[in-house]
Amino acid sequence: MTNAAVDPSLYLPRPARIVETFPLTAQERYYKVALGTPLGHRPGQFVMLSLLGIGEAPISISCPPRDDDLLEMVIREAGSLTRAIARLGEGDWIGVRGPFGSGFDLDDFRGQDVIFVAGGLGLAPLRSLIEALLADRGAYGRITILSGSRTPAAELYRDRLAAWSEVEGVEVIRLVDRTEHQPWKGRVGLVTEPIPDLAIDPRRTVAALCGPPVMYKFTALALARKGLRPERIFVDLERRMRCGVGKCGHCQINHVYCCQDGPVFRLSELSGLREAL
Amino acid sequence: MAEALYASSESVLDWIANQGSTRAVIAPRQGDDGAIRYEPLEPGDREAARGVLALAGPSLLPPGKLFSPPGEVLFTWGPAEDGSFRVEPRLDRAPRLLAGVHPCDLRAIHLMDRVQADGNPDPHYLARREATAIVGLACSEPCSERCFCEAMGSLDHHEGADVMLAAVDGRILAHARTPLGVSLLADLAGEPCADPEAAWARHRAARPEPFGRALPGSREALGRATTAAWSDPVWTRHTEACLACGTCNLVCPTCYCFDTRDEIDVAHPGCGERCRDWDGCMLPGFAAVAGGHDFRRDLAARQRHRVNRKFAYLPAAHGDASFCVGCGRCGAQCTANIDIFDIARDLLAGSPDDAPEAEVSA
Repeated sequence: MTNAAVDPSLYLPRPARIVETFPLTAQERYYKVALGTPLGHRPGQFVMLSLLGIGEAPISISCPPRDDDLLEMVIREAGSLTRAIARLGEGDWIGVRGPFGSGFDLDDFRGQDVIFVAGGLGLAPLRSLIEALLADRGAYGRITILSGSRTPAAELYRDRLAAWSEVEGVEVIRLVDRTEHQPWKGRVGLVTEPIPDLAIDPRRTVAALCGPPVMYKFTALALARKGLRPERIFVDLERRMRCGVGKCGHCQINHVYCCQDGPVFRLSELSGLREAL
Repeated sequence: MAEALYASSESVLDWIANQGSTRAVIAPRQGDDGAIRYEPLEPGDREAARGVLALAGPSLLPPGKLFSPPGEVLFTWGPAEDGSFRVEPRLDRAPRLLAGVHPCDLRAIHLMDRVQADGNPDPHYLARREATAIVGLACSEPCSERCFCEAMGSLDHHEGADVMLAAVDGRILAHARTPLGVSLLADLAGEPCADPEAAWARHRAARPEPFGRALPGSREALGRATTAAWSDPVWTRHTEACLACGTCNLVCPTCYCFDTRDEIDVAHPGCGERCRDWDGCMLPGFAAVAGGHDFRRDLAARQRHRVNRKFAYLPAAHGDASFCVGCGRCGAQCTANIDIFDIARDLLAGSPDDAPEAEVSA
């Protein structure tokens, strides 16, 4: 057997230099890294991030498609790799493979009203789509962004949420599970709670969801009650990819590799995937 | 050059042992503990080569694991002049001969060739695979009480072998299946066999029937039954004793899931290597994400996933009737005596009508 099209660099990270980093919350930091050449990604894709000597993990791409060589991410300190990355500063080097995954197709959103439902860290990947739509504002209808955080201090992208809410035809609804006595001007409650009161035309509305595993079923149910059909609901699922190229098995959802066929799926595509939500 | 030869066992052993002058020969060998392992053969050591024609088995680990050895280095890294790093893939193209591979393991290698070439081809597996010649040995009798290779469609699988050997008429038939096999046979002392298909027919006729354990249904029916049994109590029943040790994954010739690990070179700061280790979907935490949520926390859900990969998921993705080859290793080596054959039999038998539906939680 021979295979002429084998790429020997399948698992090789390329060097990327941190050009900007700052804390967004006590747990999450923002990173902007320079790759030397454009990443060429779609909204909703992810990269495999390496710190050589520590390991590799999947990280969502947080920026919309861009022409330069920069990549933006939000990284939560959740394990040994992300803790080590949190100690790095501007000028330090990390490794990047990708982009990987299906991502969002802007054609699915063109001419549509769009509802975003972001829970916690889910706002990081959804920003890649939100800002892609805002960059071509006239091509899309009304935009509603529901952003839920555990507490006021845990809210990501506070400045961006404020900036997005200033754009015409964009409504941003910010929620926290609990205020913990911190100052808060938004609402208190679960991110699904505003959905019943939204004015939705289900024939010209699509939704994009990303958040913790527990969020999807309830959000999808609330949107379905508003008449939104499952093929109009896009979910960005979280799995722990170890390879990103459909080989290692970790991200498998029934017969589907989340890193290849996802992480973005139409809800209608998940009907046969009983392990998905 | 002959496409097929009749040779004596001794000639075949000489032939295998002498291959060691041009390529590393990996052959099965029974250890003092009774277990069979595929190990490198010293060039010319024909006594050690006897395992190639032995019908005992299966080996502790499948021979196809040679192409993805545990802990293999994917790439090395070192410092670059600009302060970043440079990486170098490690591709092993050393010429090898893998000898004495039974049809079940040949079929597993054939399936793994497909998996590793599909989608994003895995350069590390394919580099080793392409540099390796394979001499297979057809089985004349089941190699163990756990064998169910015929039920899984593996008994007559020869694809992937460059030369197939079989005991026929008190001699060894050596049948080249590829151009490389034809050139390998040039070194084997024997008489030309004019009608290898007739010889194969006599080999098959001399085999016991049924060959190994039989299942009450086809592999296609098994795939359908596996899919239909999502909420069946069969998964709970076949995990009650499970210790979640992952042995079934590690000894399976068609399990290939992995994780990676970095090794730093303490003596050379800024240098190291990324290694690949075997992983298994029966192990705790295999499907866990960073926040701690585990998509298959329940053992029965993990068993269901493992069995679905063998009978439903991978066959659908890569095109075959089953990814279980019937070698019997997972059942024989299970620390709790759970046998995928018993699960397959129960799936085909269907859920008893009075059995309560048991929804397996994640």
